[in-house]
Amino acid sequence: MSGFNAGGSQLDTSWFLLLAAVLFILGTVGVLVRRNPLIILICIELMLNAANLTLVAFSRQLQNLDGQLFALMSMTVAAAEAVVGLAILVDIFRHRDAEDIDDLSELKG
Amino acid sequence: MSTSQLALLILIFPAAGAVLLAGRGWRLPRIVTKLVGPGVVWASFVVTLTLFFNNASGDFTYWTWIQSGSFNVPFNILIDNLSIFMCIVITGVGGLIVTYAVGYMDKEDGPSYARFFTYMDIFVFSMLLLVLAGNFIFLIIGWALVGLSSYFLIGFWYHRRSAVLAARKAFVMNVIGDVGMILGTFVLFVTYHATTYAKVFLAVGHCRLPQEALCLVANPDSASLELAAFLLLVGAIAKSAQIPLHTWLPDAMEGPTPVSALIHAATMVTAGVYLVGRMHPIYDVAVYAHAAVAIVGAVTALFAATIAIVQTDIKRVLAYSTMSQIGYMFLAVGIGAYSAGFFHLLSHAFFKALLFMAAGNVIHAMNDEQDMRKYGGLLKQLPRTSWSFLIGSLSLVGVIPFVGFFSKEQILGAAFSKPDASLALAVWAFGFITALVTGFYTGRMWWMSFAGKPSPDRPVEHPHEAPSVMLIPVFILAALATIGGFIQTRALGFGPHLVDDFLKSTVGAQSWEGGASEVIASLVTMALAAILFLAAYRIYIQHAWKPWSAVVPWAQRLLERKYYFDELYDAIFVRPMDALANGGLRYVEDPIIGGLVSGTGELAQAESHNLSLTETGYFRNYVLVFVAGAVVVAILILARAGS
Repeated sequence: MSGFNAGGSQLDTSWFLLLAAVLFILGTVGVLVRRNPLIILICIELMLNAANLTLVAFSRQLQNLDGQLFALMSMTVAAAEAVVGLAILVDIFRHRDAEDIDDLSELKG
Repeated sequence: MSTSQLALLILIFPAAGAVLLAGRGWRLPRIVTKLVGPGVVWASFVVTLTLFFNNASGDFTYWTWIQSGSFNVPFNILIDNLSIFMCIVITGVGGLIVTYAVGYMDKEDGPSYARFFTYMDIFVFSMLLLVLAGNFIFLIIGWALVGLSSYFLIGFWYHRRSAVLAARKAFVMNVIGDVGMILGTFVLFVTYHATTYAKVFLAVGHCRLPQEALCLVANPDSASLELAAFLLLVGAIAKSAQIPLHTWLPDAMEGPTPVSALIHAATMVTAGVYLVGRMHPIYDVAVYAHAAVAIVGAVTALFAATIAIVQTDIKRVLAYSTMSQIGYMFLAVGIGAYSAGFFHLLSHAFFKALLFMAAGNVIHAMNDEQDMRKYGGLLKQLPRTSWSFLIGSLSLVGVIPFVGFFSKEQILGAAFSKPDASLALAVWAFGFITALVTGFYTGRMWWMSFAGKPSPDRPVEHPHEAPSVMLIPVFILAALATIGGFIQTRALGFGPHLVDDFLKSTVGAQSWEGGASEVIASLVTMALAAILFLAAYRIYIQHAWKPWSAVVPWAQRLLERKYYFDELYDAIFVRPMDALANGGLRYVEDPIIGGLVSGTGELAQAESHNLSLTETGYFRNYVLVFVAGAVVVAILILARAGS
């Protein structure tokens, strides 16, 4: 074992994965139960970051930079997604008086 | 120009006329229609005469129409004396009739006028194709086109329901015949692997010789020839309105009178006679089918003549008379007296076209009234038409020296004198009685219409003669009916026999000669028929004798109902078909087929409504489904990795 964790802790990778899983489930439940669109967007960010955490954790485990690179990539995507999502939300709220996401249910059968 | 080009030209003229009138006729001035309509027929007549005077003959192949394995259909035209003979009748008499129609149809407005002459030219083209075709396929094409143009013309006044029904009836009856023709051609093709007349007749002819080695095909059994001949006969019977496919012809009188003259007297209905004559190599071998031709002809001749006695519509009398006269022609070709049959075809074209056109003049003068009981006393007011009509009538009765005498008596003489043939003698008896009946109904028709006092119901008090464009063709035909018989006076036992000589090369000479007894028989027939012609005067004008119908009222009823043929066909074919169709509609179409079709639609609609309930529109429901799906997929992957 050398390189990334040379001076760091010897914490096992499974702990990182466990934290990522907890974050991901928190994000998912947040998306499912919250009604505020902003909170939902934040929850989605949370899920993405959980995924990033797993990427970085495996990168550390496997002594390979690919995972970290991919995490950077996914952050970029997340930023773009947040921009688009916020733009849509701003547009919706500019046009109509919707308190939460359940008011946007025109497309029902 | 070469003969082959001239032969093609006969067909091209009427076709071009029809195309021009159909495309532009109603936009061009009326005079164009007046000139083009009859003009193209006359042009064909001139070409035909050129061929006639050049003694042209030959079998010209222009191109191959279909080539598929051994099935080879060329477009070929057969020019021989028979086809030239038919072309002269079609274009000559046809030209007179189409010219007459220029006057008769003058009441029609522009588009209808052009439409009428379009149909007439199509008809002439089809009929010429029928007689000029050199193979069975084009024969059938001409045959079917003739039926189609007949349909157009009978239903010309399409706003009259009766005309449309009559046209449909004629078309259906004709199609029955077409099917017979097509099946007959199939049989011949299967047997001889050929579609041209030349090859088929060569095969048939060779196999009649004792040396079987000359046969083109191994052992052609006569059964298939008989079958083919009977199937072709079905076509001939339907087209020529013979029993039992005759019911369309009287109804076809719904068409304009020139149509009746051209199609239902002079040309189209004689196609059956032409067919039997053209197929004579087959009928000479197929003896049963040949006998059937004679029997059908003889029965129809008498049958139709008896119905004509009680008809009151002048055109219907002429229609039944046409059936009866064509029966004579069938009788003649059926006993092997081909040229006698064709002579009668020619003579019938003269006098029946004359009668129809003269009747058309009367109808014209009477404001379209066709009931003879409402005429009476027209002789003084319409003398030219009346005298022409009398010439036609006497020709129909068969009074010397009119053309009908020579042609009809030649047929009867041939039947009477045919040696060792009880069938010929039997059909002669039918023909003899028919001749007497003909005398009576013709007399009744003429006396009722033209003699006596004007009927109180007459629609026009002071009728006027038709314009000269309608009178001159009548006069020409009257002249032909008067002197035309002298081209062949064989019925008298001496004199010229030009028609026989002309057709000898195509249909063969009559194999037997009549004697003095034949001449005496024909003179007796004529005398008796003439007496009956006069007897009609005593009955219907002088009322001196009790009418026969008062003696046997049931017979009158039977004849007025036309032997219940229409009712019979109605009961056997029309009503069961209607019932079947209605039953199918009620019990199959509506519940089963309709149920299946609309049921599918209704089911899809109901189910899609149920499915649409899952579309709640709530974001979290969709996410839940998505997450659940992801979880399921994750579990599946884990399960696979674990196993």
